[in-house]
Amino acid sequence: MELKICLIGKGNVGTCFIQLLKKKREIIRELYNCNCKLVAVFEFDGALINENGINLDELSTNNNFKKSEFWNKSLKAKDLIPKLSIDICIDTTPTNPNTGEPALTHILEALNNNIDVISSNKAPFFLQYKRIKNLADKKKCFIKYEATVASCVPALSIKNNLIGNTITRIKAILNGTNNYILSRMTSERIPFEVALKEAQELGYAEADPSLDVGGYDTAGKIVILANELLGWSKSVKDVKIEGITKITLNALELAKLDGYVIKHLAIAEENNLIVEPRLVRRDSPLNIGGILNLIELQTKYAGPIILMGKGAGGFEAASAILNDLINIIKERNK
Amino acid sequence: MIYLEVKLPDIPGSLIEIIKPISQNGGNIYGILHHHDKKIKNMIPVNVWFELNEEYIDLSIKNIQEDLFEKNIEITKISIGSKNKTLSFILSGHVFDTDITETFKQLDSKHIKVLELQAKFTRLDEISDVKMKVEFPESMTKSELIHEIEKICKEKGLFLIKS
Repeated sequence: MELKICLIGKGNVGTCFIQLLKKKREIIRELYNCNCKLVAVFEFDGALINENGINLDELSTNNNFKKSEFWNKSLKAKDLIPKLSIDICIDTTPTNPNTGEPALTHILEALNNNIDVISSNKAPFFLQYKRIKNLADKKKCFIKYEATVASCVPALSIKNNLIGNTITRIKAILNGTNNYILSRMTSERIPFEVALKEAQELGYAEADPSLDVGGYDTAGKIVILANELLGWSKSVKDVKIEGITKITLNALELAKLDGYVIKHLAIAEENNLIVEPRLVRRDSPLNIGGILNLIELQTKYAGPIILMGKGAGGFEAASAILNDLINIIKERNK
Repeated sequence: MIYLEVKLPDIPGSLIEIIKPISQNGGNIYGILHHHDKKIKNMIPVNVWFELNEEYIDLSIKNIQEDLFEKNIEITKISIGSKNKTLSFILSGHVFDTDITETFKQLDSKHIKVLELQAKFTRLDEISDVKMKVEFPESMTKSELIHEIEKICKEKGLFLIKS
């Protein structure tokens, strides 16, 4: 089998994906009898297109790919998706969290043209989950987005390993920036502003951290988790959101006196979605430090099941995308 | 402590049908009492005392009730002892300046008792943080308790961090 792949967005995640694909391509060929051929790479200002397959060795090491003979200036992904002969479209573009664009258009355009989709962009899924899923079902296409929640942690695909069980509630720490800030405020007694600045200097927080510290980023992720694992059809508008900016050092001290810590939790239970700071017992698995993410799934027949790992990073997200790709190949092989 | 009363058929293996769901939901069983003397139509009343993780208590009880219902086991009574009916939370904002005594009275009117209080503040008329531990009635769920606290917080502009 041959799979023609189109990658939209060659930023950090896209570049890491190209490097991983290069490393794993032979194993995929051996294990799944599938030749993965990257035929198009779109950037904001043009596209690299070679229907015979782009040379991954050159692409993964060469930053001057825009000087290649296959580079076409001004081509837009949304215009070319219907015209290219591709099997899978991977979207890793920087996306507006309020509109989901341009990723939403790429995803819908690909599905409308019967192309399977993998995305690392969460906004289309926490804004238009039902619309995307319905279209994928109608077109009988695969749509995978493991990298959207907790990056490399198999938070969504774990569903396939819990078919014999029932997930009744999700409690999670889904934003590494917020967890880092609260961990530093707790352990070092530094104010919120200082911890935030430190996170920015270390590259854990954006220059504009409002989506993180205000809770919107976490809200988007819990929507995706709840829709996927609990079978809900919610959007980010359904989440009760409270950020971490009102947490004081005194509140953290009081919590500590009684064996608690304050964590920024995302909770999905009894048809409600909540993102807010909560008191968590110091010996609870939810008391993780630093930039880690943690997802606790309460199950009906086996109690809590816990997933933990790095929630961000280029190779972390790229490995989740590659897992999605391999899962689609396995499904197509059936 | 949770107290459960059920009616079980007087046949071997029926007890395991109630132990399983309790154990699967993280319950720690303290005692089981069979009332053979009260057997009616081959059904024996059985009392079970067990503890559940406080954090998951409402969900675990719901799961246990559903499991027993699926097995056609009749629950005649289920109740939570006072030990598990407490909640800790932190209030941030003008907690004193918005009349903390009146806050207590509002809680008390709903039969919510403040068991412990710890505070951090510089001046009474400035922003403060107060941690409270409250006891709430057996008939009140955790969600109902939180709803009552949230009502007060909304009215007084306080920020709530609950457990």
